[in-house]
Parts: sequence; C-alpha cells; structure tokens
Amino acid sequence: MKILIIEDEIELLIAISNYLVRENYICELAESFNKADEKLSIYEYDVILLDITLPDGNGLELLKTIKKYHIKSGVIIISAKNSLDDKISGLDLGADDYMTKPFQLSELNSRIKAVLRRRQFDGTNILNFNEIAVNTDSKSVAVNGIEITITKKEYDLLLFFIINKNRVLTKEAIAEHLWNDNIDLADNFDFIYTHLNNIRKKIKRAGGTDYIKTIYGMGYKFTEK
Amino acid sequence: MKFLTKINRNYFILLAVILTVVSTGGYFILQSIILNNTKDSLLEKEILIIKQITETGETPNIYPIVEVKKINCKTIDKPIFNEKNIKNEVEDEIETFIEYSNQVKIKDVYYSITLRQSEFESEDLLAIIALTLFILLLSAFGISFFVTKRMNKTVWSGFEQNLQKIENFNFSENKNLNLLTSDIDEFDRLNRVIDRLTEKLKTDYLSLKEFTENASHEIQTPLSIVLLNLEEVLQQELNAETFKKVVSSINAIKRLSTLNQHLILLTKIENRQFETDKVLILNDIVKRKLEEFTPLFETKKLKVELNFEQDFALKINEQLAELLIGNLLSNAVNHNFTDGYISISIHEKELKICNTGETNSLTDENVFNRFAKGNSKSNGLGLAIVKNICETHNLEIHYVKNEHHCFIIHLKK
Repeated sequence: MKILIIEDEIELLIAISNYLVRENYICELAESFNKADEKLSIYEYDVILLDITLPDGNGLELLKTIKKYHIKSGVIIISAKNSLDDKISGLDLGADDYMTKPFQLSELNSRIKAVLRRRQFDGTNILNFNEIAVNTDSKSVAVNGIEITITKKEYDLLLFFIINKNRVLTKEAIAEHLWNDNIDLADNFDFIYTHLNNIRKKIKRAGGTDYIKTIYGMGYKFTEK
Repeated sequence: MKFLTKINRNYFILLAVILTVVSTGGYFILQSIILNNTKDSLLEKEILIIKQITETGETPNIYPIVEVKKINCKTIDKPIFNEKNIKNEVEDEIETFIEYSNQVKIKDVYYSITLRQSEFESEDLLAIIALTLFILLLSAFGISFFVTKRMNKTVWSGFEQNLQKIENFNFSENKNLNLLTSDIDEFDRLNRVIDRLTEKLKTDYLSLKEFTENASHEIQTPLSIVLLNLEEVLQQELNAETFKKVVSSINAIKRLSTLNQHLILLTKIENRQFETDKVLILNDIVKRKLEEFTPLFETKKLKVELNFEQDFALKINEQLAELLIGNLLSNAVNHNFTDGYISISIHEKELKICNTGETNSLTDENVFNRFAKGNSKSNGLGLAIVKNICETHNLEIHYVKNEHHCFIIHLKK
C-alpha cells in the first residue's frame, strides 16, 4: 500500500512516516504544496494524508487536483484547525476523513485501514488473527469458524485492537476511538472495561484465546506473546 | 412605536389640549360679547321708545319684546338687567330672555318700560364650537396622515433601507455595509459613525478570527509532535514506573490540547463565527445525544428520565446545539454518583436537566465561570461554553440547587 504524506512540519512528517513504514506501508513524503503537486503529477497513491495548512498553498486546492486525476486515492485530511468550515469543504471536495491534530498513531492507522477497506484496496474483507476472523462487510466476528454474537461497540473495539496488534494502547486512546470526540469524558473511562470483559468472555467461550493483555493497569495490547 | 407615529401622537395630544383650552376661552368670550351686544341693542331700543312716547304719546306693546305701561310712582331707582324664562307660544318651549326694566318720567307721567330680547342659546354656541373643534382636528389628522405617508416614502425610505442593511449585516460574510446617502445631515452623520464603527469591528473580528486559527495551528502542531513521540516511546519495553510516566505525559498533552481547543472554541462563539441560519428542534438533539451517552449512563448505573411535553424550536448552529446538550449531559454524568438519577424535561420553551450529585460549594454566579471545576477532573470550560452558547443565542440559563442540581434554559423574555 502506497501512501503520500503531505505535511509541512518535518518532525511530524518523519514521525508519521516512520510509524507507517513499520506498519508495512510504502511512504512518500512531501513537505510543501509544490512538492506534493509534483509527486501527484507523476505517481499514483492508495492513500494521501493531506495537511491543509501549507506554507505555499492551500491544501484544499491539492484536494481538487487529487479528486480530478487520482479518483482511486483515498484522502484523509489532517489539520491543526478544528475549523468546521474546513472540515465541511474538505469532505464536500471528496476527502474520505478528517483528523484534527494532535492525533494518535493508532487512531491514524485505524482510519487509514477504514479508508482502504471502503475503497476495497485490500481485495479482502476478512481480517484474520489466528483463530479470530473479523468480517468488515457484515461487521461480524467468527472464532474457529463459528460466528459469535457481538455488539457494535465490541466489534469496533476488537477491530481497533486487531488493526493495532502488538501495539500498546492506553485506555484513553481506546475510549476516544469508541467515543464521539465532542464529549467531555473527564475521567469516565470505566465503560470500556465492560466492553473489554464482554469480548474476552465471548472469545473464550467460543474456544478462542484471550489476546488482550493488560499493561500495568494503564494500557492494553492485543498480542500473541 | 415608529418615530413619525410618536411625533404625530404628541402633536395630536397637544393640538387637542390647545384647541380645548382655546375653545373654552372662546366660548366665554363670545358669550360675554353677545350679552353686551344684546344689552346695547336693548338700550338703543329704549331710546327709540322714549322718543316715540315723547313725540306721539303712544305706548308701543309687542309681547314679549316690548312692554310699556303707565305707572303712578317710581318703584325702582335705576334700570335693571335680568334673565327671565318665558314660554314661547309658537315654538312651545321655554326661552330665556334678557330683560331690561326701567322706569322713566316723560312729560310728568311715569312709564315702566320692559324690553326683552331672546338670548343667544348657549347650547347652540357650544355645538358650533364643538363642531369647529372636530373639523379642525379631523383636517389636521388628515393632513398629517398624508404628510407622514409621503415622508415615509421620501425622507424615511433611505433610513429604513439602511436600518435593514444594518440588521442583516454579518461580519462572517466579509461584505461592506454600503449605507445609502441621503440629503439629510443628521442621517448622513449617523451613517458616517456607523460606517466607522463597523469598519473597526470588522478589523477586530477578522484579526481575532485569524488569531484563533493561528493560535490553534501553532499550538496543536508541536503538541502533535510530542504526542506522537511519546506514543512511540510507549511501544518499547518499559518498567512500570516509566510506563506510568509516559502515559501520564500523554494524558497531560491531550488535556492541554483539549484545553486549547476549548478556549479557541469559546473565542469563536463569542466572536459569533458560527452560522445560525437553521431552526432546530432541541428535543431531537437531546434524543440523539442520549443515545451516545447510553454507555456512560450504564457504567454509572444512572436512571434517566425523559419528559417532553412540547417541541423546543430554536435558531441555532447544529454543532453548537450538540455541544450545548453534550456538555450539560457530561456535567450531569461527571458530577453524579453511581446509581444516581438524571431527569431531562422540555415544556413551554424551557429545557431542564437535573441530576443527583454531591453538594458542592458552587453557586449560581460562579458555576459558569471559566475553570470553576468543583471536584471534577474536567478542564472547567464545559459550562462556560454552555453559558456562552446561551448568551449568543438569546437564551438564558440558570443553575438551581435544591435536592438535585438543575440547569434551566429558556428563551430570553
């Protein structure tokens, strides 16, 4: 999967690309409008991460070019502005998603995967992790080939874990992923325990292994080890 | 009340008062003039009668106007005027006469002369004056009605159009006000002042808008870098102590970022940067938000009661409406205890959200203050945002603490 990251803040650009390379994506970097424009005129990308505040041009203009010549590419806008206008015009111009800085890498990965799934680049709608199979079309989960009943939130949680497997996720990051970001959660993260325990129980009951490891009571990791 | 209506009303009241006073005065003056005339004419008649008696010795008698009698001796010293009611045989009604009585000695004979003249009737006089008054008022009203109509068309039309322009003016549209000029000095002066003020306000509005956007960008970008780096550190093999330090740093960064977003949001609401052109039903927003909050209610085992009697329709930006309800619900959950209770009711343009919770020291005045947190771990801006949204949408919000904590929102009266 080939990703173009357009971001004028070099450190951020490098941090994102390091992470995505480790997640087995092929990354190209552009730190300015012109550089991005140049790359877009030569190559094709599966996903484009687009910062709309660039020093030498408006990212929304790039979005217009992308939508004209790269219809197959998925676009995720990353912006420091939590500006509703930009969000609306971005999505109107055909962006697939909009993320506000600061975001977490686990969340970014989850959104990229969602865009890829929607655009069917993977060619498959089944995500496998050993005996667990998640069908992203029917939004169902099967353990050892037998489908288990699962709620929407439990499905979202399991998918987030599998996409970010072997990665430490704080309970805040999980809560934010499951939650509307407009709600002031304060310290009400307890609700994720209920969902976590339900998934654990359901997978175990179906003869699966509990891959969710608790780390020092503050984070979780979905891993075989 | 319209300016011209007000002027006209005052004008009419003044006119009515003046006309009444003048008419009352006029009535008395006229009455006394007529009385004097009557008396004069009676005296003139007496002279004629005396002349006739002297020349011919005849005593003319025309009842009731002239009565002349021979008498033996003088009973009165000087002539007297008085009023007398006499029945008029022809018209069959009692009429008042001015009676003049005198006794004169002509050629050694005493004559009693009584002359009468019908008095000008005061009712007639009143009727005439009242009619005049009425006609005057009516014509003054008619004239000023047409003058007002014409003035509205000519003099005031420019003013009205300008007023409409000012009413519909919106800074976020980035257009100029373009007020119409007129040939009236006062209006042009007003226009110049308004132009100057809006120009200043527009510059302030734009620079604040730019500042909030820049501040947002400049603060969120470095926060992003810190957050991404810390997240990467978290993936390494860490001992419990370091792990906790990294997690608490991540959470602190997020809190800082949320705080920044909320402060910018407050500024934007105050700067009225959100378009409010749609009418929304708050009931629907409450229902939508309740669905999102269900997991939180379940975790805290809260009992939620809904009571919608009517629809609360309101012209409000959708995002702000969601924020308003969301923040109030967050507040009701965050300050609640396990197995607590929340009630939400809407009736007669009033939204009321009540919840159980610990008694805290917050009062109505400081509960909406920025950073007034009570014992919550939130950043203390939630209710300040709520208050701000209310203030910019013609709403009033009150905090009432009885056995429950209640927030009541209603339209400004």
